Amino acid sequence: MKQYSAVWEAVIGLEIHAELNTKSKLFSVAPNRFGDEPNTNITEVCTGQPGALPVLNKEAVLKAVQFGCAINANISRFSTFDRKSYFYPDSPRNFQITQYDEPIIRGGTVIAEVDGKEMGFAVNRVHLEDDAGMLKHFPTFAGVDYNRAGVPLIEIVSEPCIHSGKEASAYALAVKAILQYIDASDCNMEEGSLRVDVNVSVRPKGTNELRSKIEIKNMNSFSFMEMAIEAEIKRQIHEYERNPDLLPHLIIQQATFRWDVEKKETVMMRSKEMAADYRYFPEPDLVPIVLSENYIEEIAKSLPELPLQRERRYVKEFGLTPHNAFLLVSDKKIADYFEEALLLYNQPRLLCTWITVEFAGRLKETGKNIIDYGISSVHLANLVKMIDRGVITGRIAKTVADDMMLHPDKNPELIVAENPDYSPVHDEGEIETLVDQVLAANPQSIADFKAGRDKAFAFLVGQVMKLSRGKASPGVVNDLLKRKILG
Amino acid sequence: MSEIYNLSAIEIRDRFLKGSISAVSIVETFLKRIEKYDSKIGAFLKVFPERALSQAKKLDERLKGGEKLGKLAGIPIAFKDNIHVKGEISTCASKFLTNYKAPFDATVTELIEAEDAIIIGKTNMDEFAMGSSTENSALQKTCNPWDLSCTPGGSSGGSAAAVAARLCPLALGSDTGGSVRLPASFCGIVGFKPTYGRVSRFGLVAYGSSLDQIGPLATTTADAALLMEVIGKHCPRDSTSFDEPQEAYLDKINNRPEGLTIGVPWQFLEELAPEPKQIFNQALETLRTLGAKIVDVDLHILKHSIAVYYILATAEASTNLARFDGIRYGVRSSKAKTLDEVYRYSKEEGFGPEVKRRILLGTYVLSAGYKDAYYKKAQKVRSLMIKSYEKTFTQCDLVATPVSPFTAFEIGAIKDPLQMYLEDIYTIGINLAGLPAISVPEGFAKDGKPLGLQLIGPQKGDALVLAAAHLYEKQSKYNLAIPTFVK
Repeated sequence: MKQYSAVWEAVIGLEIHAELNTKSKLFSVAPNRFGDEPNTNITEVCTGQPGALPVLNKEAVLKAVQFGCAINANISRFSTFDRKSYFYPDSPRNFQITQYDEPIIRGGTVIAEVDGKEMGFAVNRVHLEDDAGMLKHFPTFAGVDYNRAGVPLIEIVSEPCIHSGKEASAYALAVKAILQYIDASDCNMEEGSLRVDVNVSVRPKGTNELRSKIEIKNMNSFSFMEMAIEAEIKRQIHEYERNPDLLPHLIIQQATFRWDVEKKETVMMRSKEMAADYRYFPEPDLVPIVLSENYIEEIAKSLPELPLQRERRYVKEFGLTPHNAFLLVSDKKIADYFEEALLLYNQPRLLCTWITVEFAGRLKETGKNIIDYGISSVHLANLVKMIDRGVITGRIAKTVADDMMLHPDKNPELIVAENPDYSPVHDEGEIETLVDQVLAANPQSIADFKAGRDKAFAFLVGQVMKLSRGKASPGVVNDLLKRKILG
Repeated sequence: MSEIYNLSAIEIRDRFLKGSISAVSIVETFLKRIEKYDSKIGAFLKVFPERALSQAKKLDERLKGGEKLGKLAGIPIAFKDNIHVKGEISTCASKFLTNYKAPFDATVTELIEAEDAIIIGKTNMDEFAMGSSTENSALQKTCNPWDLSCTPGGSSGGSAAAVAARLCPLALGSDTGGSVRLPASFCGIVGFKPTYGRVSRFGLVAYGSSLDQIGPLATTTADAALLMEVIGKHCPRDSTSFDEPQEAYLDKINNRPEGLTIGVPWQFLEELAPEPKQIFNQALETLRTLGAKIVDVDLHILKHSIAVYYILATAEASTNLARFDGIRYGVRSSKAKTLDEVYRYSKEEGFGPEVKRRILLGTYVLSAGYKDAYYKKAQKVRSLMIKSYEKTFTQCDLVATPVSPFTAFEIGAIKDPLQMYLEDIYTIGINLAGLPAISVPEGFAKDGKPLGLQLIGPQKGDALVLAAAHLYEKQSKYNLAIPTFVK
């Protein structure tokens, strides 16, 4: 947003809630599973029965610590839980168990790519807490599904170190990638396993003041988040600029907004006066989490490869550009898919281009990625193999890819075999006729090439390919052209 | 002493195991006594004749079959109505829970039934264990078997009255600030509060989670020790339960403790009235003749106990009771039309005045702007009390005080809640420090009502407390007295 960057600076902090993919819930043995019949994955703890007590799930602690190690944070040797009181039917005890005073993780840095450049974002804290149930509305009544109640969450709170919507989504994307790499969360925004709240304020550029912030909730995709942030920044700047004589805290007051997808604007949910007093105090039913040096060291040592490490490996081993490597690694499943294809046909750069450019472009409108769309790594590898070995030309390959989009489960080798148009013409006689036509029509290019301009040669090749409607074997075209021009 | 009801729980068990009396006739004897006397006393909220008799029949058959039976075989036992017995209603003596069938067994219930005790019924209490006289029961009045015009003390008044009137030989209570010991003292029986964490709280409806402990009420220290052997077990479903092996308390109490030093905090007992003081002195004299050395100790910090307790216990209670909202269980107000009204009217109609008072107090002390002055300060004083006790126990093995400043008072006599809170002045600090303590009969006032001696031990010193009480009881024998009304 170049319009505001000269005078105003946005100050943004993110609170990312990620559901941990543990086997059971944070404080009960009930299964942690999405999509089951309502109120089937529950125990007396999940519905807040009197007499029920929480027991901490060690797997959730492990995953939180893994995340802490992955962002190079301080892991607390001692952390505690607190009760956060509020009344709502989805909260079975009418208090949430969270970590307020002593979170399990403090500090840390998330490295993300913004406009092709690496940027570090500071994390303030990460804490464990339990999720609420879900309200379901029916024509004559509302019901509560407690299957989600008690699912472990980590809340990742950034420092207010983000300055644009673009930076915010780059940061969130990097957090998501880390969570996927350490297998801590499914990070499925549609199913709600990754949720982001944003705090936005603006200030005159060059100052360090922190003005009243607006919290924006309920954004279920990173692109909505980016739009919401930019809209909110503009709104705040507009408010400050049209009230130059008022004190800032009278213009923007702390409040909670939500993003209205239809109107494409942020809408107020509640003002500060309506903000709840959560009455935090230490949860007496749980003992502190005490972690040994040994425990933390073991986890740090056995961390799997992280997205940044993988990106650097791709650059070093495969000669990919950092940006291309980043595109691959920012979704672990895609990077894994790339490596599967690589085992089948070792041509990393071509594979990378076909995943991140060709198919990504074709898939954009479907909202799916190549894996979900059903194009197997075998088929992708076969396609690249055919290109690399000259079985098909790059141009034909694009048409074959279009066909693969129509029949995602069809082997491209079969697609090519079934369609005679896709077999390149190797017959010299046939191609020679075309070469002669092109040479006759472009004497200037011949002269240019002879004068040492390689571009002129490429132009001539292109013309021949065009006449052949992409079917001429580029090797044969090259040979013939060179022979005829240079004698 | 040949009548069954006059026997201790251990004697009843032994007769049953020897075959001199059947479990069915034991149960029938006590059921008849309940029928005869409880209309006047009001100890039981619910009696389980069918459940108890069918269990007794099974025990008789198993004994006949030569099976080895458990430690509590054939002993009828009553539960305070805040301890879950699966399938039975747990009212907590509150209108709100009159329809609440416990969906699971408390850990103590499982342990006790595994040792072949017979649960005979559920007893009256102050609503949600909030009170010192059982007058706060929303369901019925309980009278003191020694004087029917008086309260039995509270909050476990029903359990204490039932045991004192020999309506059952053994009962469970819960003690948050003296709720086992005070009624034991008022009813002339033994009441034991274990070290915090010794007995699982799973299945006990919470009042003040960091203070609550389930404890036995019995006519002898040996019976209390026997029940402690069974329920004093590590429980993985209660995170505050400490992981130590069960102790053989019965063996341990028979090892006479030699060379005991008993501390008395005389400064703290300054205002004790002449009659209870004289009876307490007599008890100390008995202890001296048994070889104990009596020393003066400084625990003046305990004068803050009531203030600290009514901040911390109510803070915890205000959140523990938040779940009683009429959404998932309990009695939902029939006049509620909206969600807010469900909350408002269900609580308004479901809770009694003392419960409301404590919820309001607890909410207040945790509120923004007051938390530091009340809750946090009280936590600090609590830590000082724990340290003060620790220091005291470097100077003596046990601390002795009266259980209460007076004998049982008349029903309706204390109208000022603050006056009522003072009933617990000598017992409440022990819960704040998490220590084990016992109330053992120490004699009678001129009006014929009993008084209890309190012996307090260091953390995990449960066995020593029981052993010293046993030693004193064998000498003083006040526990053998039975109210004339039920003879």
